[in-house]
Amino acid sequence: MTRLTQLAIALAAASVTTFAMAADPIKIGVNGPFTGGSSSMGVSMRDGVRLAAKEINDAGGVLGRKIELVERDDEAKNERGVQIAQELINKEKVVAVVGYINTGVALASQRFFQEAKIPVMNNVATGTVITEQFAKEPENYVFRNSAKDSIQAPMIVEEAITRRGFKKVAILADSTNYGQLGREDLEKALAAKGIKAVAVEKFNIKDVDMTAQLLKAKEAGAEAVLTYGIGPELAQIANGMTKLGWKVPMVGSWTLSMANYIDNAGPGGEGARMPQTFIQEPTTPKRQSFIVNYLKTFNPKNSRIDSPVSAAQGYDSVYLLAAAIKQAGSTDGPKIKSALEDLKTPIEGVVTNYNKPFSKADHDAITANIPVFGEVKGQRVVYAYPDDQKKASEVRVKK
Amino acid sequence: MQILTQLIYSGIALGMIYAVIAFGYQLTFATSDTLNFGQGDALMLGALVGLSLVGAGLNYWLMIPLVCLFGAFQGAVVERIGVRPAIKIKSEFGWIMSTIALGIIFKNVAENVWGRDDLKFPSPLPESPIKLLGANVLPMEILVVAGAILMMLAVEFFNRKTIYGKAVVATFNDRDAAKLMGINTGLVITFSYALSSMTAAFAGVLIAPLTLTGATMGAVLGLKAFAVAIIGGLTSGMGIIVGGIILGIAETTTGFYISTGYKDVPGLVLLLIVLAVRPAGLFGKTAIKKV
Repeated sequence: MTRLTQLAIALAAASVTTFAMAADPIKIGVNGPFTGGSSSMGVSMRDGVRLAAKEINDAGGVLGRKIELVERDDEAKNERGVQIAQELINKEKVVAVVGYINTGVALASQRFFQEAKIPVMNNVATGTVITEQFAKEPENYVFRNSAKDSIQAPMIVEEAITRRGFKKVAILADSTNYGQLGREDLEKALAAKGIKAVAVEKFNIKDVDMTAQLLKAKEAGAEAVLTYGIGPELAQIANGMTKLGWKVPMVGSWTLSMANYIDNAGPGGEGARMPQTFIQEPTTPKRQSFIVNYLKTFNPKNSRIDSPVSAAQGYDSVYLLAAAIKQAGSTDGPKIKSALEDLKTPIEGVVTNYNKPFSKADHDAITANIPVFGEVKGQRVVYAYPDDQKKASEVRVKK
Repeated sequence: MQILTQLIYSGIALGMIYAVIAFGYQLTFATSDTLNFGQGDALMLGALVGLSLVGAGLNYWLMIPLVCLFGAFQGAVVERIGVRPAIKIKSEFGWIMSTIALGIIFKNVAENVWGRDDLKFPSPLPESPIKLLGANVLPMEILVVAGAILMMLAVEFFNRKTIYGKAVVATFNDRDAAKLMGINTGLVITFSYALSSMTAAFAGVLIAPLTLTGATMGAVLGLKAFAVAIIGGLTSGMGIIVGGIILGIAETTTGFYISTGYKDVPGLVLLLIVLAVRPAGLFGKTAIKKV
């Protein structure tokens, strides 16, 4: 061994010990797709998480310790998610994890955290089963602060059938877990209104042609298309409609607000409506400061957050977790979990104000009354109904 | 009837998208018996470079020659780094891994340079559809069809009529004999890779306004194009066009008449049948391999 390497090792060892002497940071895993078709959600979520972590650290951290984020890109692939889960648990020894954009990845990965008794805060993934995966076990470590599909699907149906009076609707959903679970929820919600979709079609990620699906919907006489998919393919649906010269309203899950849908569909994508937990409008002081800080720190194109919902939920998820760690007075998984189930202090968030957001039996922070309808207008997502915007300053809280 | 016309139109447009990519496979196979499995990524790089040039204020049509030059350079690099060493040691499979590896490297570079999101490629032609015999087509789709046919004619003309084309054919028929006859076979192979990536880059800017543009656009398209190349035959320009049309129409009609969940199946079943019955492809010359 040369002198130089000996020196380097000695230095490295010294630096490790100095770190250990200062208060150890609290490690929180951040897991999401930062590349690929879901990345506008993943990156916005991560930026929201970073913003919250920075604010908390600047204010002195939690329990006198700094929050350290361990960010990992799961590429929206189930198998990557599983590898990352094991790495976060065994190597990084995280205290908790926030993230998961894709329902499939969440379902595949969170069982490892469940076994390791480490809380998971799903802040974007919406598959209804996510928080129910371990509901039967005595301890459930999976929480969520996004609007689950069983909330969104009835909202979509309510909007299309009741508010706008369409009688015949077609469902277009992608072939992933997200799309197919969402389709089931949509069919259930339609059945509750005594309606059956006139066409139920499937498409694959990266499909470039939607002619067959759209023609089937058109031939069946659909007056509106209900969608469950992600940005790029949703844009291909809108583009396909322009091509066929058949334009009916699109109403779908919250992903219709993704920047890559809005940009790629262009004028053809205008008018699409979707449930949103957050719309980039400064309707409360908290939301205003969040938007200002986000734009200042990350400087997104055209001052438009790529996925405002993901950013806001990502931001709130860290505050929820920090509050639980503070209340538990410990970074012990089971104690954080118990604290989350019984949060004593209300938290002012961007999406809503959280007052006892979780209980032992209910691990979903968002209820059906919280989301509003957004609409793509002028290449941004705005409130679909002026009434909602007027009342937006009255924060909708969990019922 | 109108429905069927629309399905056929869309099928042809889709098939031509596959076909323009498939030409690239053919060009390298024609000289060195190797394929560039990074073809989809060459396509993606071409489209993204084109997008940057257009973004810098260059006219779409003026941008095309520059993108072609870039593609040619990129293809030559792939051949020098990935394929030549494998051919030199007469490795049967080395080039498969190295072209795949280079493809992944290109994809990662693209993700870092252009970001990870799918981007919109501004269309040089109007985006409103034209009515043609009772069904709608996009002007851009017509351009893709024209581009594919042009490429086919160019490739066939090059191979049959020019001295360089004859060198390419000779290199394919018997590399060692061609070498003895004074043909610089190494250069011919490099050239074919350059040409192959050039067509891919051209295909990229041609189809980008229809598909979306992004670092991951090449994967699925490259694979479908490979199926087209196998169905049509790796040695026939005509075969690529016909193979593309067959696969495209099979996808759209199955999607409509059977189920959109199964729309990729008939094309791939056809691929299996072709491989079993006519391994050289529908239009390919059956090569007799003497050992």
